[in-house]
Amino acid sequence: MKSLILLVDDDRDFLEMNRGILEAQGFQVSCFTDTDGTWESMGIRKPDLVITDLMMKSLNSGFSLARKIKSDAKYQDVPVIIVTAVASKRGFDFNPKNREELEAIGCEAYFDKPVSPQLLVAKVKELLS
Amino acid sequence: MSSEELHILVVDDELGIREGCRKVLSEEGFKVTTASDGLEALEICKRGNKFSVALVDLMMPRLGGLELLGRLRALDPDLLLIIITAHATIDTAVEGTKQGAYSYIPKPFTPDELMLTIRNGLERQSLALEAKRLREERERRLLEVATERSRCGTILKCITDGLLVINREKLVVLRNNAAAQILPKASKPEIPFPLASLEDPKIEKLIDEIFKDEPGPRIVSQELAMGKNTFMVNISPVIEPNGETSGAVAVFRDITELKKLETAKSMFVSMVAHELKSPLAATEGWLNLLLSGVIKDDPKEARHVIERSYIRVKTLRGLVAELLNITAIETGNFQLHRANVDVAAIARRTVEAAGEKAQGKAIELALNDRGLEETKTALADEEALALIFSNLIDNAIKYTPQGGTVMVQLAQNGMYASFSVKDTGIGIKAEELEKVFDEFYRIKNEVTLDIPGTGLGLSLVKRLVQLHQGQIEAQSTPGTGSVFTVRIPLS
Repeated sequence: MKSLILLVDDDRDFLEMNRGILEAQGFQVSCFTDTDGTWESMGIRKPDLVITDLMMKSLNSGFSLARKIKSDAKYQDVPVIIVTAVASKRGFDFNPKNREELEAIGCEAYFDKPVSPQLLVAKVKELLS
Repeated sequence: MSSEELHILVVDDELGIREGCRKVLSEEGFKVTTASDGLEALEICKRGNKFSVALVDLMMPRLGGLELLGRLRALDPDLLLIIITAHATIDTAVEGTKQGAYSYIPKPFTPDELMLTIRNGLERQSLALEAKRLREERERRLLEVATERSRCGTILKCITDGLLVINREKLVVLRNNAAAQILPKASKPEIPFPLASLEDPKIEKLIDEIFKDEPGPRIVSQELAMGKNTFMVNISPVIEPNGETSGAVAVFRDITELKKLETAKSMFVSMVAHELKSPLAATEGWLNLLLSGVIKDDPKEARHVIERSYIRVKTLRGLVAELLNITAIETGNFQLHRANVDVAAIARRTVEAAGEKAQGKAIELALNDRGLEETKTALADEEALALIFSNLIDNAIKYTPQGGTVMVQLAQNGMYASFSVKDTGIGIKAEELEKVFDEFYRIKNEVTLDIPGTGLGLSLVKRLVQLHQGQIEAQSTPGTGSVFTVRIPLS
C-alpha cells in the first residue's frame, strides 16, 4: 500500500502544488483545509506523515493539530512537517525557527513557504524510511 | 532729603523760644508751625498736619511735654521727637527717650546747637526709614516666595504624572496626588515616610541605582507594570549646587494606552507581513514547479500554473494598493477632493464596470436608481465614492454563487443618499458580521477559500465612508444573502 500523507493548508495553491509534487513520487495524498477534518480522517486511516500549515482558521490551529498528534499515544509516531508563511514570532509563544521549540512540540521538520519540491520530497522520504 | 519738604512743629509755652526757633528754622528752609502747649499741639496734629520733627518743651501748662511725647509718638511712629528743656537732668532725659524722644537740647541753646541736633536726628531717622523700607521689602519678597511655593505645590498636585521626591535617607519627602493614586501604599502615610513602606522593590532598586553612581546628572528609565497598567518610570537625581546628590525625583507616566497601540501596531505589521508573504510564496512555489521541471512539457498544465500565479500576484497588487490607501487615511494624508457629485451617475458607472465580472458568473446585476433624483448631489470625492461602490459590488459578485442576483439600489434617506447592494450570496453569520470591517478579517470556510481577497476591502470602505461623515451597515442571513448599505450626506 502507498504511504498516506495528509496535507493541511487553507491555501488552495499550496495544497494543489504539494499534492502534485508528492503524488508524482508515488505517495497517496489527502488534502484538508482545516484541522477538524484532518483529525477526523485520521480515525479512518492512520496517516504515515502529516504536513501542516500553522495559521489557518485560527491563529494557531496547525500548532494545535501538531500538539494533538504528538500527545496522542496512537499517533505520536506519525512524523509532522510544518510548512508555513509565518513571518516570525506570532501571537502564540512558539518560534518555529528554534529547533528546541520545534522538538518541544515534537515536530520533525519545519519549512518556510514555499518549500522547494526537492527539499520537501527529500525530507518526506527521509522521515518515511 | 531737602529741608523744604520738611515740616517742623515747635511746642513751647515761651513765645521767645517759639519765635526764635521759627526764625532759625525758616532761614534753614524748614516749614514751621508752633503751639504754646501740648493740647494745642495735639489739635494741630489731629487736623491732619504731617510733621517730620517735633521740638517739645517739657514744662508746659495743660498738657506736659512727657505726655505729649507719648501721644505724638502714637500718632506718628516715624516722627522725630526732640526735647527742649531748661530742666535738663539725666532723669528727665531718660524719661523723655522712654517716650520716644531722639535727643534733647538744654535751654538756652544756640541756633547752631539746634540745627546740629535736628540734622543729626534727621539723618538717623532717614537711616531708620531706609532700614524699615528694606525690612518691608524683604518681608514682601518672603511672601512672594511663599506664594510661589504654594503655586508650585498646586502645579505639582495637578500634574497627571505621579511624582515622588526621595531624599538620601530614602524617605519620601514629597508625593503628588497622582502618585498617591498610582501607588496605593503612597497615599496613606504622612510625609515623610520610608520608601520601603511602598513595598515595591523594583522602585527601590531604581532609586538605589541613582544614589549608587554619584555624582553627575543621569536618568534611570524603566517600564513597570503596576496592577493593570504599565508605567514609564523616569528617575533623576536632585543635584545640589556643590554637585552632591541630595535626593531623587521619580516620575510615573501611565503608558498603558501607548502599549496597547504598540501591540496593535505590531500585530498589524505582522498580519501585513503574513498577508504579503502568502501570495508571494504561492507564486514562487508555482514558478519553481515550472522552472524545476516538476511540471513536464504539458502546455495545459503550464498554463494553469501561470494562471494561478497571475491571480495571486494580482491579489498582492490589490493588497498593496489597499494598504497604501489605509495608511494614507490613518496618517491623515488621504486627500479628499470634494465636489458636488452626482451619486446616481457614479453608481451607474460602477455597476456598468462590474458587468463583465457578473456575466462571467451568470449573475444578474441590476441597478434601481429611481429612489434618488438626478438633481441630488453629495459633497464627496468622486474617486473615493467610486471605490466604495465598486468594492461593495465586487464583494457581492465574489460571494454570490453562479446564477445569483446582485441588486444595487439608490434612495434618498433623509439628508442622506443611500446606496445598497443586495446579493443572493453565501451570507455571513451574525458573530462574524461585526468583524467583517476589521483589517484582514476574512471569513474562512470551504467556499471562501477559493475566493481571492485581501481582507482589507471592507476596512477601506468603512474608513472612506467615515471620511465622508457617512454610515455603513451590513445585514445578512447565512445561505440567503447579504445587504451592505452606505449612506453619504447630501449637499
